Amino acid sequence: MVEVGIEDMHFFGGNAYLDVSELADYRQLNPDRFAKLLIKEKTVPLLSEDPITFAVNAAKPIIDGLSAKDIDSIELLITCTESGIDFGKSISTYVHDYLGLSKNCRMFELKQACYSGTAGFQMAVNFILSQTSPGAKALVIATDLSRHTVEKGKDVSVMDWSYAEPSTGAGAVALLVSEIPSIFKVDVGANGYYGYEVMDTCRPLADSEAGNADLSLLSYLDCCEKAFLEYAKRINQVCYKNSFQYLAFHTPFGGMVKGAHRSNMRKILGASPIEIDEDFNNRVLPGLNYCQRVGNIMGATVLLSLLSTICNSDFRLSKRIGCFSYGSGCCSEFYSGVVDASDAQRLRKELIEAQLDGRYQLTVDEYEDLLSDNSNVSFGTRNCELEKYAPSNYISSELATPQLFLKKIKDFHREYTWTT
Amino acid sequence: MSAQQIFDYLTSSILDVVPELNEHEFRKNDSLVNLGVGSMERADIIIMVLEKLRLKIPLAETYGPNNLGELADLLQSKSQIS
Repeated sequence: MVEVGIEDMHFFGGNAYLDVSELADYRQLNPDRFAKLLIKEKTVPLLSEDPITFAVNAAKPIIDGLSAKDIDSIELLITCTESGIDFGKSISTYVHDYLGLSKNCRMFELKQACYSGTAGFQMAVNFILSQTSPGAKALVIATDLSRHTVEKGKDVSVMDWSYAEPSTGAGAVALLVSEIPSIFKVDVGANGYYGYEVMDTCRPLADSEAGNADLSLLSYLDCCEKAFLEYAKRINQVCYKNSFQYLAFHTPFGGMVKGAHRSNMRKILGASPIEIDEDFNNRVLPGLNYCQRVGNIMGATVLLSLLSTICNSDFRLSKRIGCFSYGSGCCSEFYSGVVDASDAQRLRKELIEAQLDGRYQLTVDEYEDLLSDNSNVSFGTRNCELEKYAPSNYISSELATPQLFLKKIKDFHREYTWTT
Repeated sequence: MSAQQIFDYLTSSILDVVPELNEHEFRKNDSLVNLGVGSMERADIIIMVLEKLRLKIPLAETYGPNNLGELADLLQSKSQIS
């Protein structure tokens, strides 16, 4: 059997962010409860940013590092999102165009709430394993954002999406999946999946979110245990602690991950509170680092936690990472792979962090202005000029790399341009 | 097991997770939200009481009750089925 996994991966976290503690003060959230959420910053999408710009900006450094022959070997492009811009036309068509991929390429969009990135990744893994096109590569991009709209001065607490406001962010993670798993070698067949119908959180309306945070938390905790137990049924002598040197979680917010880890450690291993805290700091915390800087990026979050783990941990020896993915509705999965010592350093840690550090910090007033301006690009916008919202109007210093941004929408067609 | 016994297990689990409430006299119409208990702690309380009752049901099936009395009734009905 061929090897399979992630040959390369990259992340893009947008151009503007909000310090979430400032938002919590402004919205008068209980400070003790807010502190337990372990949230720091959230990326806020500008009007010139959409799921396509995030996706392209995440994948561009990967594509730029490939030869023309390798680019042509990308025969599958899957965009994974719950933030689509059209019921029919997939955002993968725009992404395909701006990345200059071969026309002999399958492309489509995939949806299952925050599970979408894992769903896309696993489909790509199986495309490579099937060997129906030996040597072919797949590009999987999970891209999601929350763009809420409210009239200026209106009470946000009555909006359906208010419960999620502090935690939701924007960002995209791109994965090049192939027979050369330089970054993350997948444990083939080591998958435990678990799902059922539940109405926890959802997007039944354009540009909004609805649902119940309590039910979602309970469902997440159920799945976190049951998906691992199914994995353990398939893999002999697996141990929740010793088989995985790190754990990457879908991270709606850090407090939820901390609770899920604590619950699994207690239920599966009978661990003591001291043991659980130490284990959390050693195996889980590295994966929260980048997630805490952009907020929940839904389908891409577990992949960002994986990337954060690889960039912020010690891989002098090969190590196995266990990944838990959960998407409301719901579907979940526990899977794993191995990161080799030398190859982990190929990731663009400095570029990722420079890009995050270079974002513009919005004041709460500027953020409120954006909430009101967002109506200009609501779902179904037919025509709109967006150059005044270009990233260069926010960030005076030089951008870490050229970026794609949305210039205009003309008769529903989106036109993008690169920053110079 | 009676609903009262389950209610007692429930209040002891609440005190395990939120010891600051030890002065509180729990009543059936108390709501954890109104007592200032956060969402993660509420989930921990549910996990703990299910363990004490040796009740193996999905956590999501405990969602819905508006107060402690309703939750105790729900847990009693689940314990009779399982």
